[in-house]
Amino acid sequence: MDGFLLTLWLLRLAFLAGLFFFLFAVARILLRDLHAAAREPGAELGRLVVVESPGEDAPAAGSVFPLDAVSTMGRGVNNTIVLDDAFASADHAALSYRGREWFLEDLGSTNGTYLNSQRIGGPVRVGFGDEVTVGRVRLRLERARR
Amino acid sequence: MSAGRSPYDTAPPVAAAILRVGLALLIAFGALAVGIARWQVWEAEALTMAPDDPLVLAAQRSAPRGPIVDTRGVVLAETELVGGEARRQYRSVAAAPILGYWSPVFGTSGLERAYDAELIGLAGGSPSEALLRKFERSPYDPATLHLSIDLRLQEKAAQLLGADRGAIVAIEPATGRILALVSSPGYDASRIADPAEGPAYFATLREDPASPLLDRATQGLYVPGSVLKVATALAALDSGAVAPETIFRDQPAEERTGHVVEGFRVRDGHHPMTGDRALDLRRAIEVSCNIYFARTAVLLGGERFRAWGTAAGFDAPIPFELPTAASQLTDRPPGPNGGFRDDAELANAGYGQAQVLVTPLQMALLAAAVANDGVAMRPHLVDAVEWSDGSRRATAPEAWRRIAAPTSAAVVREAMQQAVEGRWGRAFAGAAKVPGVPTAGKSGTAELGGSGEPHSWFIGFAPVEGARIAVAVVVEHGGRGAERAVPLAGQLMAFYLGLGR
Amino acid sequence: MTADATSVRRWPVRPRPRPRELALLAVVAPTLLLGFATLRTQQLAAAGTDRLTLGDPIVPALYLGLLFAAHAILTLAGRQTDQVLLPAVGLLGGLGLLLMERLPPSLVVQRFGPLELGLGSLQLLWLGLALAIIAAFGVLVRSDTWLRLYKYSWAAAGIALLLAVFVLGHEVNGARLTLCLGPVCGQPSELLKVILVVFLAGYLSENRALLASRRSRLGPLGLPPLQHLLPMLATWAIALAIVIVQRDLGAALLFFAIFLALLYVATARWSDVALGLILFVAGSAALYLLLPHVRTRIDIWLDPWAQAQGAGYQTVRALYAFGRGGILGTGLGAGLPQVGDVPAIPAVHTDFAFTALAEETGYLGSLAILATYAVLVERGLRIAARSADDFRALLAAGLTLVIGIQAVIIVGGNARLIPLTGITAPFLSYGGSSLLANAVAVGLLLALSDRGVALPPPPRRPAAERLVAGLRAAGDRVERAIT
Repeated sequence: MDGFLLTLWLLRLAFLAGLFFFLFAVARILLRDLHAAAREPGAELGRLVVVESPGEDAPAAGSVFPLDAVSTMGRGVNNTIVLDDAFASADHAALSYRGREWFLEDLGSTNGTYLNSQRIGGPVRVGFGDEVTVGRVRLRLERARR
Repeated sequence: MSAGRSPYDTAPPVAAAILRVGLALLIAFGALAVGIARWQVWEAEALTMAPDDPLVLAAQRSAPRGPIVDTRGVVLAETELVGGEARRQYRSVAAAPILGYWSPVFGTSGLERAYDAELIGLAGGSPSEALLRKFERSPYDPATLHLSIDLRLQEKAAQLLGADRGAIVAIEPATGRILALVSSPGYDASRIADPAEGPAYFATLREDPASPLLDRATQGLYVPGSVLKVATALAALDSGAVAPETIFRDQPAEERTGHVVEGFRVRDGHHPMTGDRALDLRRAIEVSCNIYFARTAVLLGGERFRAWGTAAGFDAPIPFELPTAASQLTDRPPGPNGGFRDDAELANAGYGQAQVLVTPLQMALLAAAVANDGVAMRPHLVDAVEWSDGSRRATAPEAWRRIAAPTSAAVVREAMQQAVEGRWGRAFAGAAKVPGVPTAGKSGTAELGGSGEPHSWFIGFAPVEGARIAVAVVVEHGGRGAERAVPLAGQLMAFYLGLGR
Repeated sequence: MTADATSVRRWPVRPRPRPRELALLAVVAPTLLLGFATLRTQQLAAAGTDRLTLGDPIVPALYLGLLFAAHAILTLAGRQTDQVLLPAVGLLGGLGLLLMERLPPSLVVQRFGPLELGLGSLQLLWLGLALAIIAAFGVLVRSDTWLRLYKYSWAAAGIALLLAVFVLGHEVNGARLTLCLGPVCGQPSELLKVILVVFLAGYLSENRALLASRRSRLGPLGLPPLQHLLPMLATWAIALAIVIVQRDLGAALLFFAIFLALLYVATARWSDVALGLILFVAGSAALYLLLPHVRTRIDIWLDPWAQAQGAGYQTVRALYAFGRGGILGTGLGAGLPQVGDVPAIPAVHTDFAFTALAEETGYLGSLAILATYAVLVERGLRIAARSADDFRALLAAGLTLVIGIQAVIIVGGNARLIPLTGITAPFLSYGGSSLLANAVAVGLLLALSDRGVALPPPPRRPAAERLVAGLRAAGDRVERAIT
């Protein structure tokens, strides 16, 4: 047995071990995602349905957005719900689910956020069936399907 | 017409189908993993030993090849490095038919071929050793082959054959160890291995009409003549076709007139001393009576004779470390009457003529089986493969075929002793007698038709009880058995029994 | 309700950390460095010096730098895209790079003006471009309109590309696959497979309800209406044409397999797949009888040893390489991919990249590579299954299948489970076209995995459906007028 070769082989085995450690780490992520997916049907807490839309690049009427616990709306591409309407601000409004109830908050938009045609000031409570207006897009909060 | 539900809504969701496609791909990946395991795990060792594997080809050129030694450790073949090139040196020309040759130009033959992977050192002992070898600088661990051959006996046998063409096989009946295996003419394997001299020498050997590259002991097919009567006797006794006491009343008369089978006249008359006496089986072997065994074979029938032959190792190559030819009782495939054309062929086959062809190895196994109570041990040349760390893979003695019942073997054993030592037998095979040791045997004279001298045969063993050596000797065109093969075998057995262990 | 509960903090936008990706890359990087260290040490030892070395650190440093740069760009872009795809691709690409660095550089040489690049450097260049494509798609592609609306244009472009190869292509090793534009040559069939997926996703998502619902019967098989059978027959014919004209069995097999798989995803009907398999078997049988090169491939597959020194040489040598590898492998650089300057397996850097890596990393390495491909497939199909609409689902599934099925075909061919066809092992093999096309696929998958991306437009009824509905309405009106 040769010391140098032994070292080289240990390195080779460490390389193989690295490959499998990578797979092990990936497997953990996959399993976690799988569990998350299993919870997912319940995770859709509600949905926003587009009632009225100016067309063009804004989502068409009838489009449905599933809602996470916190969903942001606006023209910016990093929003949960992208509403590409000229009258919407980049970061326009946020819908959040707290304590079994929905709250709507304006994020300092230029043209304001409306709940059932009334401009909101601070965070307000939203019920199912209520309509939210961001720019020229009107959306209705609905119960999650199923 | 209302808008209704668009067919779009009725289409099945894609998620389930995607899941199934994913499962199908997963199964495909699993199948790939299993398929690759076949090459990388199960068949990996066999693949790495394939003679055209680049690794083996590279090792052939540079790796030190392991030595081959005889039963006492005398080196028969070893490798020397000459200018970076491995060169194989063979210490005994007599051992050539066993060892074969190793040459970077002409490849390998003989044991050099059969144990190529072990000699290169690619075939490991245990799997754990093979794993440990990965951590060695050289992946090769050349093994030493320990042969059952005794070089002294091997050289004696070669010397006894001299310039004659022929073959000798000596075997230890109780174990199947081959003690000597000679084919003549032989060749000098060292000269084949020599890159300078090899090509010219090899070309000469190939063109030589005496075929020195042919291993006559394992692949030479000879007409056996009377030595086959031993086989006929065993087959007939085993099947009950004859008893030791069976006599044929017409036999003495037929010695003069010949015995007619289907128009073919079997002639004999070479043992006038038996006169008008009808011979029993023992006497018939002792004096080598053709008519007795022609009648025995017909009585036995082609069917049973052929079946016995197949069970005794005829009709198929003998499992051995060297390539072997299949011996035959007839040249036709099995069929009605065992494949024999007619009773005339069968009668002639009964005393070793007609279409019977045998290898010396098969005849040696026959003699050994008679000595060993009817059991032929599996023949082997390699006693053990030994690696540098001292680990060994030994060849255990193993029964190969039961050729005859112990009682049948005992009868034939007595008869063969009579053939060497008996009052009448002495005239034929007395020269095979080992002084002071009970000796058994049977000589043969293989008539070839035409005017050529017959092949001279002898098979036998000594001592009669607890035999230590069984031999088969054939000398091509050596005349009558008694002239050449019999005294040769006697000297060989005497030499072996006289050797210190 | 407290004030705290009602105040909603702004959802953090750019940059968005990608911890999983970073963690996985943190495993990939040292593993590849270990690989490079063992490779260079082995090469040094073969030259007679026993010393642990990383050799020239520039190659691994460049590659890992590019990998982390791609990660940084994705992080800065702040999109919620998949975090496993990049490390998995990075690992496969790195293993391929280890192989190309180990083979003699003279195997492939390309000149760019005064710069002459060998095999390893070229592969590094292509890998860099591939990572750039992945990052660019992952950042920039936010809408699928350009793919969705112009599916027939894409199909036309694809067919034009195919015809260009048929007419202008160069013949290499008896297969006409290569198209050269000036000094740069490429294999358009690699790009074609992505285009095929885009077209199929568009076509099938629009027509899948019709394909799935209405059946005309032919014996025991329920068939889709004839006009919808045409695409299947067309794909089949194109695949046959590729085999006959280009002599490219691998691409033909890949195209047809992708088509069948996507058709199944769209219709969930085994009968369509069965019909496709019947077409496949019939086509294969005809090709076997008519084309000698197809027959040779099949015969080699059945018994490579029958012509071990002739046509079966490649396959036999590959099996020996698997055998030499065993379970633990020979170690990187210690295998026998070449004897002297002649590769022990012809085309080791393209068709037999997997075999060469299997020899040097052993069965364990083979399993790891297979598992990494499986990971790519799992992520891709997960993205497909969670897509917002059918087009995206079919697109993501198709792009995943491009990689997955190609891996199965070439690895199966290497291990003699199926006849060998000359296609590349995704991300392992040498080849610019292959790397870039597969990068496009992964880049699109990355973009599709972002759930925050613009929602798809509401489904439109297919044109035929609209026409039928219009006619019915007109008929109703006529009926009312009469009564």
